[in-house]
Amino acid sequence: MQPTEHRSAVGQLADDLRWLEDHCRRQPDLAAEAGTLRLASALTRNVIGPFLEGQPSRPLHICVVGGAGAGKSTVVNLLAGDIVAEANPQAGFTRHPTAFLPPGPGFQWPSYIGFMGPLNRLTSDKPANVDENVYAVKRIPVPSGANEKSAHPLGEFVIWDCPDMTTWASEGYVARLMEVAALSDVIVYVASDERYNDAVPTEFLHLLVKAGKAVVVALTKMRPQDADSFIAHFKQEILGRLPKLPNGETPAVPVVAIPHLSVSERADPTGAGSKYRIQLLNQILVQCESDDLTRARTVTNAAKYLSTAGDGLLDVARKDLAELDEWKAAVNAGRAVFEDRYRHEYLSGEQFRRFDRFRERLTDLLELPGAGRVVGGIFWALRSPYRWTRDYVFGLVARPDVLNLSEQTVLNGALTGWLDTLQAEALRKDGTQQSLWRQIAVRFDAELSPQARDRFANDLRAFELKQSEDLEQAGKALVDGVEKNPALLYTLRGGKFVLDLVIIGNVVYFTWPPGWLLLLIPFGVSASHQFAELTTRAVAEGARHRVRSHRESLVTGSLSVPLAAWLAEWPITGGTSFEKLQQVLRRVPDAIRTMEVRVKAKVAEMTKPKEAPPPIPAPEAPT
Amino acid sequence: MSEMNTPDAPFATEDAAPQPLLRTLAPLLRGLVRPLRAWLENRRKFPLSMMQRAELEGLAEDLQRQSEMLDVEKPLLVVMLMGGTGVGKSTLLNALAGGPIAQASFTRPTTRDPVVYFHHSVKSERLDPALRVCRLVQHDRAGLEQKVIVDTPDLDSNDLTNRDKLIALLPVADIVLYVGSQEKYHDRLGWDLFKEQRHRRAFAFVLNKWDRCVTGESGVQPDEDLLADLKAEGFQNPLLFRTTAQLWLDAANVYSGSGNPPKPAGLPAGEQFSLLRNWLELGLTRLEIEAVKARGVGQLLTQLTRFAETIRPPDLSVESEKVKSVWERTLAEEADVQADVLVGTLEPYQTEVEHHFSVEDQSRFRGLMAAYLRVTTRLRYAGSGLRDKIPFGGLKGRLLGGRVDTPVEWNLGAFVQECARTAGERVLDQRSTALINRLLVEGEAKGFPLTLLTDPATCAGRLDWRERMTRGVIEALAEVERQATNPTGFRRLIRGALSLMANTLPEIALVATVGTLLWNFFVPTPPVIPDFFQMSLVVLIPLIVIVALHLLILLLLPVRWPAIRYQFRKQLGVRLAAELGHAYLAIPGEVSTAIQEEREQVDSLIAEAKQVADWLAERQQAAQVAELYGKSSRDQEFTLPRDSTASRGI
Repeated sequence: MQPTEHRSAVGQLADDLRWLEDHCRRQPDLAAEAGTLRLASALTRNVIGPFLEGQPSRPLHICVVGGAGAGKSTVVNLLAGDIVAEANPQAGFTRHPTAFLPPGPGFQWPSYIGFMGPLNRLTSDKPANVDENVYAVKRIPVPSGANEKSAHPLGEFVIWDCPDMTTWASEGYVARLMEVAALSDVIVYVASDERYNDAVPTEFLHLLVKAGKAVVVALTKMRPQDADSFIAHFKQEILGRLPKLPNGETPAVPVVAIPHLSVSERADPTGAGSKYRIQLLNQILVQCESDDLTRARTVTNAAKYLSTAGDGLLDVARKDLAELDEWKAAVNAGRAVFEDRYRHEYLSGEQFRRFDRFRERLTDLLELPGAGRVVGGIFWALRSPYRWTRDYVFGLVARPDVLNLSEQTVLNGALTGWLDTLQAEALRKDGTQQSLWRQIAVRFDAELSPQARDRFANDLRAFELKQSEDLEQAGKALVDGVEKNPALLYTLRGGKFVLDLVIIGNVVYFTWPPGWLLLLIPFGVSASHQFAELTTRAVAEGARHRVRSHRESLVTGSLSVPLAAWLAEWPITGGTSFEKLQQVLRRVPDAIRTMEVRVKAKVAEMTKPKEAPPPIPAPEAPT
Repeated sequence: MSEMNTPDAPFATEDAAPQPLLRTLAPLLRGLVRPLRAWLENRRKFPLSMMQRAELEGLAEDLQRQSEMLDVEKPLLVVMLMGGTGVGKSTLLNALAGGPIAQASFTRPTTRDPVVYFHHSVKSERLDPALRVCRLVQHDRAGLEQKVIVDTPDLDSNDLTNRDKLIALLPVADIVLYVGSQEKYHDRLGWDLFKEQRHRRAFAFVLNKWDRCVTGESGVQPDEDLLADLKAEGFQNPLLFRTTAQLWLDAANVYSGSGNPPKPAGLPAGEQFSLLRNWLELGLTRLEIEAVKARGVGQLLTQLTRFAETIRPPDLSVESEKVKSVWERTLAEEADVQADVLVGTLEPYQTEVEHHFSVEDQSRFRGLMAAYLRVTTRLRYAGSGLRDKIPFGGLKGRLLGGRVDTPVEWNLGAFVQECARTAGERVLDQRSTALINRLLVEGEAKGFPLTLLTDPATCAGRLDWRERMTRGVIEALAEVERQATNPTGFRRLIRGALSLMANTLPEIALVATVGTLLWNFFVPTPPVIPDFFQMSLVVLIPLIVIVALHLLILLLLPVRWPAIRYQFRKQLGVRLAAELGHAYLAIPGEVSTAIQEEREQVDSLIAEAKQVADWLAERQQAAQVAELYGKSSRDQEFTLPRDSTASRGI
């Protein structure tokens, strides 16, 4: 697998997750999911992508997070061992993440495509404004008078000072915070005595733990004498309720207490503040045995988090999918009514009079051909009185048919009814701005209705050709069945002729000498013909019935089903957000699965040659 | 800011003339609550969303509460502390009380049950019901006699029930003391709540743990930051107290004397706790309390008017006219289709109808002609008699049985019902749902909300349409029959002449023939003995006359199905259109009238609220004249600063 391929796959996945996140943000009840998705997309970009591309494990990243005023900058200074971050009494002062590189000649700053997503590296000294999506990079100065050789304890690390997530302005920059948090290998979660049980930071902590980040908690600002009981209380209240790690273990989170520092302690992190500093450094270093192992753990956990988040993806779209299902159900209900109306309004009254033609031809076929026509003519003449009587009586008794509406009228009426039902339904359900029904209602008159009518008109033309052909074929088949089968044809003709002869012969024989009783001859001949007619009629009725039922399936197959399918799919076509949603939902789970497999393979490859015990995740520090 | 908060600024004196303002206001508010509640409870056509309903109910509740709380000699001012966990709300209250009355500790969240701090002269029944269930602590400080200070649970901890408790308590507050600390003054949860509530109540601000703000570090100071934010929210000159309550509490715990404990040592620069205490005790005089209360009511009324304007139903009279005209067309089309279908179902019975019309038409003939016609008609329509034996048992018996005395009794009954049933089953029943949907969609297209029309239209669709159609068919048939039997104009003349001829000529012919024969037999000599042919002339001549007349009648006044059908279709179309129009066309008008009524109700509600608000403003204006004589009304600064009178400063 080439790095470019990895890159495009990772980019695609990250973009899809971003899109889903935006989708969630637009729906107030899904806002909680948005954070999860944001983290997922940031993890894909900043952790998994570089790892698969083969970027070096160094540097590792430490990220200091916490509520406004909790003392993040103070903690950063402790870690750096110098006053690098500007601690400021203004809450929410820091609005852009700042990376602090260790002093001295270090590693190369990661600069692959897609790193930090939407954030750019700040080139000037200060951000142009608070809304600019940038991060700053600074280097920790070499301590004056220090030995060149004495390495910085966090020489392999980049320390990130992050903005808060609690002030009312934080909505604008919490995305930056997420980006850095996703990138980092160790998180230092700073909680002050005021903040430690706040809902918003705790929620953020839960998110980090779920993503499998190694977390070190720094509790700040309590009175020194309260420190122990404070830690105990924190462990019980907050750590006791942490979610499970991606690998199912209960997270072990070390806690360090940093009481309220005096100005002098704050000003001199390596001197007066060193006892807190060393404690904190130890906890961090214990989490990071070696670059590769730490990075492998971060990546493995990120991949696991993605797969769990991926399972929850359907939840995000649940409402949309439910609405889509409702729409489909409405379309199908409309289809049922459409077919029902066609059946009742048209088919039930339709007699298929065109079919009578074929019945008459069938009867004609039974007459003798050629010279036999003369005989046929004689019989026809003999039957005339009976025929007249029969036609007269039939005319008296038979009722005219119910007058049917034309097929086209019925179909068009049913279509209008169908569309109206859908539109009324859409207008009735027209709820929030985002909802599917709203989008349908808005686009109904201008797009859906004319498009549907166009399609229907096309289908109708095809249907009319087909149905007329269908009728002709059924009739033809009826006639051909006899005509193309000479044996049957001649048997029938001959049979009828013989029957007539037998009747005549019998009458003459039994009533000899000829008298009034010879009138029985036309009577008998008529009876035989009537029998033949009734038989053909029965056969023709059977065929007519088949045509009728076939017509129904023809309407279903060539009119209602295609239209229903088109209508059901309509909301998710034409570049709508629903189309995108469907695409994303199809794409993302697969992408996550592939990514997880690749990460596993790569991690195995990376840890194997060392023959070292492969603790993944690395053993947690004792607390 | 600084000058108005100097401790020795003259606060209003205690002995201000008592204003009857609030007590007069109470019944006015009650008068407002009643129609509001009634309006809420009424069934209405124009729907309220759940949110709007909840909002209105909240407003009604607030009004109710205000009216009750104001209707006393000395109204109580409720000051409520609001802020995140750990900012020191309880410490602040303890420091104000000079002792540990509210639980304060480093475990967060500390306060789970609100604490109510009030004067012992106030009976607890006078407290708002929401406050009575809290922890009640009484005191005997004269300065706080009319004030109730409430310590509330936090709004941002992991314990979400705390937030709910706070939200439940907030409506009681007259003044909210927004407590922030260096860490939390900027927090979103508190800020959002503040923005939501700021149009309802007075706000003052406390920046507690002031010692943590004074760090000597560079950058924007929290108090300046907060003031800038408040300015952006429209608070030009807010009341902001910078306090370090913990130090004051520590000092009070040590101090054992009476009265306020002395200033503790080591206060950071700019600490203003004593100012806060002074403001609460002395700054909020009776006059100011009343002003705050009145302002609170004013805000409530503004809120109510504003909200009522958003839920005022639209004026739909123009739309209803448009909808009506569109519907007329649609209904006429529908009536056409229905008439076609019904006439189509009548098609099989054309001989019966024709027969019936013939019989009906013949009833005006008498004597020989009548007898002749009876015989011929029976022969002609023998088929329908035959048919009776086959399907539809008794139906045709009635049709053809000759009981044709009155057209009403001919009244087809079962026969037409049968037609309507067939038509209904086949076509019409399904059309009624489709018709309603069509109408609704057309209504929406003309700007009439679909939801408003759905119910009445569905009701109209649920009427017994089969029965109506049956009636329509019967009436149309009767009408056609009436037209056929009682023609007008030229036809009437012909008809009269023909009837006259048919009723007289055959008899005259008979008499004449018989007379001629008799004359010939008796008068001439020798008498002409009529032979067989001559004898048969007695029958033949009248018969020829009758047949000739019959042919004439058939020629001039034909009774044929196509003609009947045409007339019938026309009549039926008109009748069905009338029926449909009767059921549906009134709906938009009715709905729009009902909505208009609701609109007027809302308007009158708004007018009433405005009236009270105006009255209140007038009285406040008068009170502000009194201020010219040396009384300050501070509340203005932290209530509605956008108001021009509010930002006048001191």
